[in-house]
Amino acid sequence: MDLLDAHFVPAVDGVAYGLLLFVVAAGLSLAFGTAGVLNLSHGTLYAIGAYTGAELSDGTWGGLAVGLAAGTAAAAAAGAGLSAATIPLARRGHLAQALLTFGLALIGGNLLIEFFGADDLPVRVPEALDSSVTLLGHRYPAYRLCFILMAVLLAAFGTWVLTRTRVGAAVRASADDPQMLATTGHSPRAVHTGVLAAAGALAGAAGVLGAPIIGPGAGTADTVLMLSLVVVVLGGLRSLWMTLLAAIAVGEVQTLGVSLAPDLAPYLLFAAMAAVLILRSQFTEPATAGAHGGGDGGSDPVAWLRRRLSASFSGRRAATATAEKAVAEKAVADRREPVPSASGGPLRRLLSGGRDDGGLAARGRKAAPLLALLVLLIALPTLLDAYTLSLAGSALALGLLAISVAILTGYAGLPTLGQTAPFAVGAYATANLADAGWTAGPVQIVVAAIAAALFSLVTGPAVIRARGTTVLMITLAIGELASAAINQLKSLTGGADGLVGFPPTQALFGGEGMVEESEVYNYALAVAVISVVVTVLVLRSPAGKLLTGTRNAEARMRASGHPVGRYLLIAHIGAGALAGVGGSLMVTVQQYLSPADVGFEIAAFALLAAVIGGSTSVIGALLGAGLIVFTRDWVASSWPGHGPLLLGALFVAAVYLLPRGLAGLRLGSGPGGRGAAKADQLPPDHDSVPAGKVAP
Amino acid sequence: MLELTGLTAGYHGGTVLHDLDLTVPAGSVHAIVGHNGAGKTTLVHTVAGFIRPSAGSVRLNGREMTGQPAHKVARAGIGLVPQGRRVFAGLTVAEHLRLSYRPPGRGDTSRPSRWTPERVLELLPRLGERRGNRGTDLSGGEQQMLALARALLGSPSVLLLDEPTEGLAPLLAKQVYELVGTLAEEGIAVLLVSPSPAQAAECARTVTVLTSGRVTLRVDGADARTDPTALHEALELTPVRTAAR
Amino acid sequence: MTATTAPSTAPVLDLKNLTRRYGSLTAVDDVSLRLPSGARHAVIGPNGAGKTTLLNLIAGTDRPDHGTIALGGTDITRTATARRSGLGIARSFQQPSVIGELSVLDNIVLAGWRHHPLRRGAWWRPSRYRQHAESATRHLEAVGLADSAARPAADLSHGQRRMLDLAAALAGDPRLLLLDEPAAGLTDGDIGRLLTILGGLPSSVAIILVEHHVEVVAELAETVTVLAAGRVLITGPTKEALAHPEVRDAYHATAAGQIGADRDGAPEAAPDGVRDTAEARG
Repeated sequence: MDLLDAHFVPAVDGVAYGLLLFVVAAGLSLAFGTAGVLNLSHGTLYAIGAYTGAELSDGTWGGLAVGLAAGTAAAAAAGAGLSAATIPLARRGHLAQALLTFGLALIGGNLLIEFFGADDLPVRVPEALDSSVTLLGHRYPAYRLCFILMAVLLAAFGTWVLTRTRVGAAVRASADDPQMLATTGHSPRAVHTGVLAAAGALAGAAGVLGAPIIGPGAGTADTVLMLSLVVVVLGGLRSLWMTLLAAIAVGEVQTLGVSLAPDLAPYLLFAAMAAVLILRSQFTEPATAGAHGGGDGGSDPVAWLRRRLSASFSGRRAATATAEKAVAEKAVADRREPVPSASGGPLRRLLSGGRDDGGLAARGRKAAPLLALLVLLIALPTLLDAYTLSLAGSALALGLLAISVAILTGYAGLPTLGQTAPFAVGAYATANLADAGWTAGPVQIVVAAIAAALFSLVTGPAVIRARGTTVLMITLAIGELASAAINQLKSLTGGADGLVGFPPTQALFGGEGMVEESEVYNYALAVAVISVVVTVLVLRSPAGKLLTGTRNAEARMRASGHPVGRYLLIAHIGAGALAGVGGSLMVTVQQYLSPADVGFEIAAFALLAAVIGGSTSVIGALLGAGLIVFTRDWVASSWPGHGPLLLGALFVAAVYLLPRGLAGLRLGSGPGGRGAAKADQLPPDHDSVPAGKVAP
Repeated sequence: MLELTGLTAGYHGGTVLHDLDLTVPAGSVHAIVGHNGAGKTTLVHTVAGFIRPSAGSVRLNGREMTGQPAHKVARAGIGLVPQGRRVFAGLTVAEHLRLSYRPPGRGDTSRPSRWTPERVLELLPRLGERRGNRGTDLSGGEQQMLALARALLGSPSVLLLDEPTEGLAPLLAKQVYELVGTLAEEGIAVLLVSPSPAQAAECARTVTVLTSGRVTLRVDGADARTDPTALHEALELTPVRTAAR
Repeated sequence: MTATTAPSTAPVLDLKNLTRRYGSLTAVDDVSLRLPSGARHAVIGPNGAGKTTLLNLIAGTDRPDHGTIALGGTDITRTATARRSGLGIARSFQQPSVIGELSVLDNIVLAGWRHHPLRRGAWWRPSRYRQHAESATRHLEAVGLADSAARPAADLSHGQRRMLDLAAALAGDPRLLLLDEPAAGLTDGDIGRLLTILGGLPSSVAIILVEHHVEVVAELAETVTVLAAGRVLITGPTKEALAHPEVRDAYHATAAGQIGADRDGAPEAAPDGVRDTAEARG
């Protein structure tokens, strides 16, 4: 009883927190489940509401009402805009959407800070509620009780609309079969826009009302997005009740959990999320395996979720495979598959991996841009100042991480947000080695690679059974668990303060530690070149074909006797080792290490670099990472405080202008190709390179 | 009346349907027969607005419908019963009826008759007994009835039926064809895609044979009933054995 | 419910009481089947009758809720797909499954890889890979795709994809070949070639053919199982099965009026012309 007594207030807080998350997550799952939009800017919609509410709150009921109306309307409008932005991407899959919405989230976050300032805004609730009431012998803030009531009403209203009205029926019908919805005279496009506007309105309303609970600030959008993703994953989109249950559970972990077991709370959420996802992907494994890469699209987790949302498994609708349909499906499939690399200039062929085996002359031509790039990279120390050169070194480290993501995403078909975990393992291993006096570069690299590979061996089985968006979520959970561990294991990682002051790396055994930027850069370049060459050789060997086969036609590969799981695990371990090498390089280049260097943002950047690079292109991923570091650190230094905005613009532009990534660029041979290669490779004498300039 | 002139359409650059002319007067059934891949479903999808034709036109009672999006085509009075029924898995029968019920505008006199949920249930009483059941919980025959009800509730002047007897027991199939006759008598123009030339000839005023996206034969239904030879020849049903040997 | 061909040796495939449910739907319901080595067996029935599910159960991409599967006397009910391939089960897919980004030749190299005597080291030794390519070329010649060996598989037409899928299935020299609607969407000329290829397979290869095209069934199969709503309606010699009153009845609406229905006594309509009496049970 005492225990209950002591934790009564956090427990009620958890309910309020959970209801807040439920309202937000309901919008996220509505957009995801019925409009098919994986909206990584959903947290930003909440922030729009929260900022608007805080700005207009003046301690009166009128202020709250105006804030609620304005915040809801603003977020709804943003949601409708998002609908217009994502409709052209409908056939491009979820990575393109993720790239776009992440870019929009960065832009939106930056603009909000621009307008409202970087500090957390104070929120004033109406005076009548700015008191506490006595609840079962405890003092409890009246506003929170009132919030619980309002959130319940909002949730009930939303549920009623979705399940009891004609509009709700249209929304559910649209999730099931938009074409058939159209035959009943309803515009699927209008439903799409309406759903995203409604999702925005829910987030906005939650932002206004929840501002006193999760207030407006720089980290609001990320926190809200992460927590509502967890809720959606735990709830499973199967029913709103499950989502509600999941939301309350997450709320309790965030409040009661922290007060009961502060050490465990950081792990609990993401461990639960990973466990649920892994279990679920095991249950659905046979069907997934059968459909992956050639069946009826049953492997797409969104399609799966949509089916779940609408009804239980529908086995009756047997696909009638007429030749007409086959023509249509083939046409769609062809659009998805990368155009073979026969046409286009040498850069393009190089970027797309150049799979055709030409003669020596052809190989020479193909290698020419690669050599030009190498020459440029070698010449960089003479061209750049020390600061920019160290940025270039960081870009190489991040580039290896991006390549490792590209191997998993592009070659193995496992889009990952968790490669920062092996990256971090490599980085912290290196820093600790250096601290212990092991400063020889080769030792650090090899130990980092082995440690990261072992880590990937352990996490691999959880990753390789799932496909598509589920992998994103599982790897996100792995990345977040690693972050939590980094913050807790202070003796190894220095916790939030990070590690600094360890001795510099020696290029080889013995010799002096590298202190000059150019020395460090050359070391990073040498390691990166060796890693890239090894990676390219492996990917272009028949082993690479095994991965391509697994990604293109997994069912065929299994039916031909290939142990697909073993291939994917080996790819996962190899990619992990590469990320570990990248982490080691980053420590050597930066000479310090903080949790932010291996956080979610870096994971997202690495994925986006791989996507911008063209997913299946090693060099493309490297260039993509370069472009991101260049934009974030170099261009942004001439416009301080706008790094996220510029990056966001880069991502948005990349989605629309480079549908196949940098590797899809159609560049003529000769000077045009080299010019563009240079543009990608960050010439020092330009103030900025607009992302659009690299497009044809 | 539905008029197609010079209709050419396909998927993503490939042409499936070539220069097709076809008219379905109000109150008549026009049947399309042909092999898999002949372009029957492409034809239906083009008329329904799922595919934008690359050439030619679709007219409904003289009104240009070419290139209109599917929901506008439906609102103009073209109802579709698609192949495979495609009822909404998560919606109950009652929700299907409510979602699909769309009375024509007051000024719209082109519709042969007005359909309300009550009238549909009168015609298809089985659906009334299953009001609370979801689409996936229905049998094949019931799903077919529901797909028909969904199309009728827009009070269409033209009804597109794509293999409506697919997967139905013979007795049920017969009922569906009788129903099609009844609807045509009401004044609806019916475009029927049928897997069976015999059934097509049985209930249609005109039968069109489609081969590789082109019209290869058009005969009167009555003629085809008395002498099916021409229909048989146009469908050339037995090349396999000769090719194999 | 057992195939009537005299079992002179141990059956290559022995299915006992297979059942697979998806929620409330029973896709495969208590199906038993015994096939001798070299059998040519067809499974027909309306869409949704469970034909593809049955193939998936045999191939291992799906697991039965009840019942057992034995291959050549060995129980493989719980064996993974890839292992079953090693034991000699190969399959084609309803939607031809090809690796679009790789060349036609590479598709077959990968398909035959795990069955090739020199499979070790092929992933990094170019000479081994070349030896694989030689045997793959032979399989391509058999299906008439040798001229397209260097093209990316994504460029193939639908008919060519079917042939490539078939070649991929044959590349493992299987003893049991599962074919899921191999003739769907093929031109008549392609169907003729398909029949020639399948007819020319060694008599040691057993075939299970799921096919709507009754002509192909009549040409290739010695025995037939008719499935409806997951249950075996009848199993027997092709002509008998197709002439069985219940089957004829189920097919009646189209078959009776079907052109050429009287030739060979076999209805020519694809069986999905009229489906599933059982599905319409309200």
